Amino acid sequence: MNTIAEHIADFLKEYPPFDNLTFQELSDIATNIRVINLEKHAVLFQNNDLLHDSFYVVASGVVNLTTIADAEETIINKCHEGDIFGLRPFFAKNNYMMTAKAREESIIYAIPIAVFRPFVANNSDVLNFLLESFAVNSRHAKDNVNSNGKLISDTAFYVDQQSEMQYIQSLAYNNSPLTTESNQIIKDVAILMTESMVDNVVICEKNNPIGIVTNADLSSKIATGRYPITETIDKIMSSPVVTVIENVSLAEAQLLMLKHNVTHLCVTKDGTSKSAVKGIISEHDLIVAQASNPGVLIKEVKRSQLPKDLKQIRDRLSDLIQNSIQKNIPISHVSNIASEINLAIIKRAVELSILDLGSPPARFAWLSIGSQGRKEQLLLTDQDSILIFEDVAPDKYREVKDYFLRLAKRTTSILEKVGYELCPNGHMGSNMLWCKSLTDWTKQYNSWMNTPGENSNDLSSIFFDYEIVFGEPKIEEVIENVIFKNAVNNTLFFDFLGNDALKRNSPLSFFKKFIVEEEGPHKTKFDIKTRALMPLIDSARLLILNANIKGIKNTYLRFKQLAITDSKNAEIYLSCAEAFLTLSKFRTVEGLKNDDSGQYINLREMSKTDKEKLKNALTPMKDLEELIKSKFQLTQFS
Amino acid sequence: MLDWIKNINKEYPDFWKEYLTKFEVKPNRFVVLSTETSGLNPNKDVILSLGAFSVTDDSIVIKDNFEAVLLQYKFLQDNGLSNEFIIESKMMKMPEPDAIEAFINFIGNSVLVGHHINFDIEMLNAALERLDCGRLKNEALDIDMMYRKLMDINDKQFSLDDLSEIFKIPKSDRNSSAEDAYKIGLLFLKLKSRLGIK
Repeated sequence: MNTIAEHIADFLKEYPPFDNLTFQELSDIATNIRVINLEKHAVLFQNNDLLHDSFYVVASGVVNLTTIADAEETIINKCHEGDIFGLRPFFAKNNYMMTAKAREESIIYAIPIAVFRPFVANNSDVLNFLLESFAVNSRHAKDNVNSNGKLISDTAFYVDQQSEMQYIQSLAYNNSPLTTESNQIIKDVAILMTESMVDNVVICEKNNPIGIVTNADLSSKIATGRYPITETIDKIMSSPVVTVIENVSLAEAQLLMLKHNVTHLCVTKDGTSKSAVKGIISEHDLIVAQASNPGVLIKEVKRSQLPKDLKQIRDRLSDLIQNSIQKNIPISHVSNIASEINLAIIKRAVELSILDLGSPPARFAWLSIGSQGRKEQLLLTDQDSILIFEDVAPDKYREVKDYFLRLAKRTTSILEKVGYELCPNGHMGSNMLWCKSLTDWTKQYNSWMNTPGENSNDLSSIFFDYEIVFGEPKIEEVIENVIFKNAVNNTLFFDFLGNDALKRNSPLSFFKKFIVEEEGPHKTKFDIKTRALMPLIDSARLLILNANIKGIKNTYLRFKQLAITDSKNAEIYLSCAEAFLTLSKFRTVEGLKNDDSGQYINLREMSKTDKEKLKNALTPMKDLEELIKSKFQLTQFS
Repeated sequence: MLDWIKNINKEYPDFWKEYLTKFEVKPNRFVVLSTETSGLNPNKDVILSLGAFSVTDDSIVIKDNFEAVLLQYKFLQDNGLSNEFIIESKMMKMPEPDAIEAFINFIGNSVLVGHHINFDIEMLNAALERLDCGRLKNEALDIDMMYRKLMDINDKQFSLDDLSEIFKIPKSDRNSSAEDAYKIGLLFLKLKSRLGIK
């Protein structure tokens, strides 16, 4: 009788592959388990270690699996509670190909292979799960729709060097291609292609492919005037089509395209042109299979139909950011790319909502505000947005506002599915307050700027960082003009913003020690967001509004611009610009490491040099504070 | 010092003789143990249940465990207590002499680990005395002491719940000596690696 073994069996039966076993079987396995405690950063096994006699299940904590390539560590996978890892001894004889290291103090169950093997042999579900887990080679186990997302890759995969594994993996391609008959009129087919947003159409005879027309054919044969658009489609098709069998590998598809010099392959049932069409592989599919590069991601966003697809792209973006940062690509460059992709995702979310709801009854603009509006969003933080629609006749107003509220609700909920949390303060277009007509918005900004502090509770400075995502650019211009007109000589408003910017607590104590959280869940951590980043962001916004410079929305660029316009303080501005980048990088790295917003930096984990770097990035803030105080004569308040 | 002289003519039970011979070699495993007792007085109170696990190579070996409920008919009778809850439990039940013998065979020469282990050892010694045996010879470690040494605290004690809280050991709804032994085992692993004990 062993009570603890039963508890462990209880725990295991929640997770695959153990959920395929009976409780009695699990108790037998649990009886043979060894329980290991890993301190933070302790290594369980290292690349090239001899194989252990057990595989492992995370009971609590998180274990990172990493590989080392070109002297840098790449995280392949993070194993959370219930994940299995270290399956190599099941299938291979050679040493471990990766390192397992505890990210935080973790408790691990070690299950001896010898004990588990008989269960594998008798239970094909378990075997399949283990094989899949071992062989899965995408870094996106979560992309695998049929795998309930618990696969742990145990094979190395680098973004920068193609592993051979990739070449044996099969391709994802469009398996519901556009088909048409040979007697159709070119113009109709072209309209059909445009509507379904594809660049190719397969011409079939009794479901068998006889030719293909792509955009290249249209431009070389129609746009040049060789054929009128009233001709039948078979006049301009490329024939015969290069056909392949289903489940073709990436490598093979590439070879075939090069060999036949084509951009599309037609997938048929038996791989010949004498059977039914099953799908189309385009060059684009090959590119997608190879890497997540920004261009591809943006293209992907434009094609996606479901929040789920957008979520996948957002996950790949996180990887891209992580890899770029590890490769020391300048953070300003990374945030440019990231914000473009974020922008595309939000834009697509609005588009999808419009597709669902029908055309909008009036022109409107969807603006991102806050960090996304400043193009500084590298992590999945919460979404902030506003919606402005043009003025309509009073009798139409209700109906129009209703439509836009519905549109905004849909959009925010799509974005929530993608992984952008809803804003806890309700700063979103789906909120009655922030979905208004242009006149109302103009009034709103006027009252904020001319009588700040009266309703201070709803003036949030994030409304002064905005970026149009979708809709009518003129609307954004109008608002911009309102803001800059009101800003001229508006001492009261700048006083307000200045005090807002300086009211945050300073990051360093008198003795140049970090001021850390004294209580709460983040005790002893440093709050980089409110103590360091926010003051810089707020100050940059204040100074740029004060200098009346339009169109520069990003904190880094704002400081750069200020250094040019206000050249006698250039040095302060430039050091602030650099400091901002350094701080953003620290936050992003922390956020990626812990899958959170990176707001609280754990100083205990930082190396001495990093701490010095962080401290140095905080020094320009003092000068900036002085500068703002003297510029806006804030001393009477603070 | 010269204790053994007193016992020179005493005839010990066989299991105890065997136990004594085990100390000719160095211990190579730890045993974490926890007892449930009827009270805090080693002379009057008795052990109601025992739970223990072995720890080798920095891991708790689930298979190598000992769990028993001791049937204390005499004690319950004397104190007018009911034995209903004992009858209900699924654990292995044995009378005190059998349980103590089995437990002594289980621990052998291992280093014992517990929470406020001195009390557990006193209780076991009292039970051994009833069986005409000597006192336990095992080395013993106390996780509360280990924690205080780690943090350099001398003026207060920490209960098992305090330590579980500090090291974020998940609370379990069930309570038994085996549960406690497992918790102590986890705490021991954590403290051991922090203190660098091999």
